Amino acid sequence: MVALNVNGQQHEIEIEPEAPLLWAIREQLALTGTKFGCGVAACGACTVHLDGQAARSCSVSVAAAVGRQITTIEGLAPNRSHPLQQAWIAEQVPQCGYCQSGMIMAAAALLAVVPQPNEEQIAQAMTNICRCGTYQRVRLAIQRAARQHLEQGK
Amino acid sequence: MSHPMHTTTSGNSRRDFLKVSALAGGGLLLSSQWSVLAVERDHTQAVQREPASWVTSWVRITPDNVVTLVVSQAEMGQGISTTLPALLADELGADWTRVKLQTAPFDKAYRNPRLNWMFTGNSESIQSFYDHLRKMGASAREMLVAAAAARWKVQPERCRAQNSHIILEGTGRKVSFGAVAAEAASLPPPAAPKIKSDGELALIGKSLARVDVPPKVDGSAKFGIDFQLPGMLLAAVRTAPSVGGTVKPYDSKVALARPGVKAVLPIPGGVAVVADTWWRARSALQAMQLEFNPGPNAGLDHGALMTQYQAALDQGPFAAAVNEGDALSEIQKHGSVVTRDYQNPFAAHATMEPMNCAAHVTADRCEIWAPTQGQELALMSLKSALGLKDEQIFVNRSDYLGGGFGRRLLPDFVVQAALISRGVGAPVKVIWDREEDIRRDSFRPATMVKLSAVLGIDGLPTALAARVVSPTILLPIFPALQKMINDSGIDPSAMEGMKEIPYRFANRRVDFHLLKTPVQTSVMRTTGYGPNIFALESFIDELAAQARQDPLAYRLKLLAHDPRAVAVLERAASLARWSDPLGKGYGRGVAFAFAFGTYLAQIVDVEVVGSDVKVRRAVSVVDCGRVLDPGIAAAGIEGGVVFGLAYCKAEITFKAGAAVEDNLNRYSLPYLAETPRLVTEFIVSGGALGGVGEVSPVALPPALANAIHSATGRRIRALPLSRNGLQLV
Repeated sequence: MVALNVNGQQHEIEIEPEAPLLWAIREQLALTGTKFGCGVAACGACTVHLDGQAARSCSVSVAAAVGRQITTIEGLAPNRSHPLQQAWIAEQVPQCGYCQSGMIMAAAALLAVVPQPNEEQIAQAMTNICRCGTYQRVRLAIQRAARQHLEQGK
Repeated sequence: MSHPMHTTTSGNSRRDFLKVSALAGGGLLLSSQWSVLAVERDHTQAVQREPASWVTSWVRITPDNVVTLVVSQAEMGQGISTTLPALLADELGADWTRVKLQTAPFDKAYRNPRLNWMFTGNSESIQSFYDHLRKMGASAREMLVAAAAARWKVQPERCRAQNSHIILEGTGRKVSFGAVAAEAASLPPPAAPKIKSDGELALIGKSLARVDVPPKVDGSAKFGIDFQLPGMLLAAVRTAPSVGGTVKPYDSKVALARPGVKAVLPIPGGVAVVADTWWRARSALQAMQLEFNPGPNAGLDHGALMTQYQAALDQGPFAAAVNEGDALSEIQKHGSVVTRDYQNPFAAHATMEPMNCAAHVTADRCEIWAPTQGQELALMSLKSALGLKDEQIFVNRSDYLGGGFGRRLLPDFVVQAALISRGVGAPVKVIWDREEDIRRDSFRPATMVKLSAVLGIDGLPTALAARVVSPTILLPIFPALQKMINDSGIDPSAMEGMKEIPYRFANRRVDFHLLKTPVQTSVMRTTGYGPNIFALESFIDELAAQARQDPLAYRLKLLAHDPRAVAVLERAASLARWSDPLGKGYGRGVAFAFAFGTYLAQIVDVEVVGSDVKVRRAVSVVDCGRVLDPGIAAAGIEGGVVFGLAYCKAEITFKAGAAVEDNLNRYSLPYLAETPRLVTEFIVSGGALGGVGEVSPVALPPALANAIHSATGRRIRALPLSRNGLQLV
């Protein structure tokens, strides 16, 4: 048995410690918003937060995630209330949608550190692959969420 | 924001009714050709089939005034699950914010009415279903109106449908659709329902909030890979990396000794491991350390392929697809002929969601749940693979497909899952890892194109000759075309963008060589238009340069007979400020495409520093007749620019019979950082409806190549850019 803290809840799951965190999340915890895309940390569809930092869960072992706060798209915010989720809806970002959980998690980790990223910082941080090519709207949505953050801070 | 709800019920049936019939609970059913008796099944309870409890086809209205609309076309990002139901709701007069949507199972009622075949692809869902769904909506509306009018004993002309109610004009009286649905169902469907005028439309032409966006921002959208059945096992597969290879003898005990593993099965070309979780299946498969015989195509590699292509381009034989005037003798008798060769690479679909399928097969029954674009081909293929009858096979499509791009028209992954389920005697979901997904792709074919032209004294071409060498595109998805393609020697899709073109030349010849190769090829977003228009639009630019004319003005002269073509080019030029001077290292290129019934002009600005190509901006001006949803249509064009960039950046090569770039760290798709600023505009010409799903990636590669020439003086005649020592940054 392995103890994992996912979305604020402690879970005891039966899984080999070397198993990738992605599959523990998808198969043991049935949180299927986190996606399998490549298995080699190249595409970012499996991005979650480990202690608030973006991590590609296909390439993190369950053992390495023990004792850390794991956040998946399902735990990002209740009722799609995260500013990025709201911005994603406002900009109508998703197309097929498969990469979007990972994309939003990567963007949330960026804004947590850099609340007002410039275009260059967005480009550096957002290395998730979207085959539908939603990148322009991803950029706009991140900027929209950042703007909202600034306005709320005033 | 209120959205229609997309529910995950699905049904299936083979029983056809001729006309409207009443719902069991009292309600209205309306169908085009066939109404169907459907079986309500929640995905989670799919194994326990309930007897028929309700009827459905396109429109279902229950006494509680819930209007359910069927989504016949696969939602793979193109927004069709919003636009088509909105069309239906608009004609019907239904309250859009409260309608429910239901994913269609395979059924004749949901066939594409133009091709009488159920599939999603070829950028034609709107083109094919537009008139049909408006008629379906109008019929239902007129029946509801007639029922309400009969109840009120008034003329139907005094009634109108609005917000899922029938309103009696000038009286304040109204009745819900649901309250009169049963009565409406007993009426004969109108022979010629009256379609609304544009002024009466509330949804068509507006940018609606996509119904699929909310579940896609919180992880709740269910893709095929997320599908669950009670007692379902998971399978990982590995087939020989090389085309036609086989697995060497292996020891199943290695896998069977591992936790959770239930079975090891031989499959064509490889092995499936079935376990209680996918990760356990896959790690057991890896522990087996399978080895493979490369098979008959061990010599297949990039160099051998290019040699084969070049020989075909030089020597044929060719089948003539176009022969207008006498282009060949014009070219022979002129001294100054411009001849250029162009190359397109093999490309992988690389949908973000890898191929997967859940199947439950017993001795006399097969049910599958798949992210598929091709329900009908899946059904036919399952029938022959399993030896079952039509009525024993149930094909369900997942609500969402994690990308399609044509790959999911093929039934291979569906049939494989069915065979594995039958082999283990349990419901099984097969998920391909990315390596399997790319190696077992049916790629967009590499092509070689040779273009020759003679220029008249005005610099415009008087003769054009084309040679196209391409493997098949259409055969894998339309096996019925085998005889036609073999007899003619021409794959119609591989001729798209070269056979029928908007440019006019006094003499034109197009020759085609259908290349036989063991590399599996099929349709991929842009089909034949992509490779052919890359060649043609690059060549038009070269001809303009030869004639010392501006490439935009040159195209405008060549297309002067076609006002829609002229309009998109002129508007793009204006938006892109075509004539503005360029700084050192900067370039600007244009390409024009008429593809999938849509006109597109694209203008790309680049900055080239050494080997680094920075795409600064891409302006797209589109005329698809009328725009049903500007927001969704623009998203398709924007995304298509990035998809077009992928054709310029990534390629599949072969070594020892196998695809070399077999994961996303080697098959290098574009990143956000490489995405230019995108400017997209539509011209509403009122012309025939065209598709917007695939046209944008058609024009982008030649527009970029022409921009690089503008910046550097170098012609890009072979893609991807790496063949020219260049890279996107």
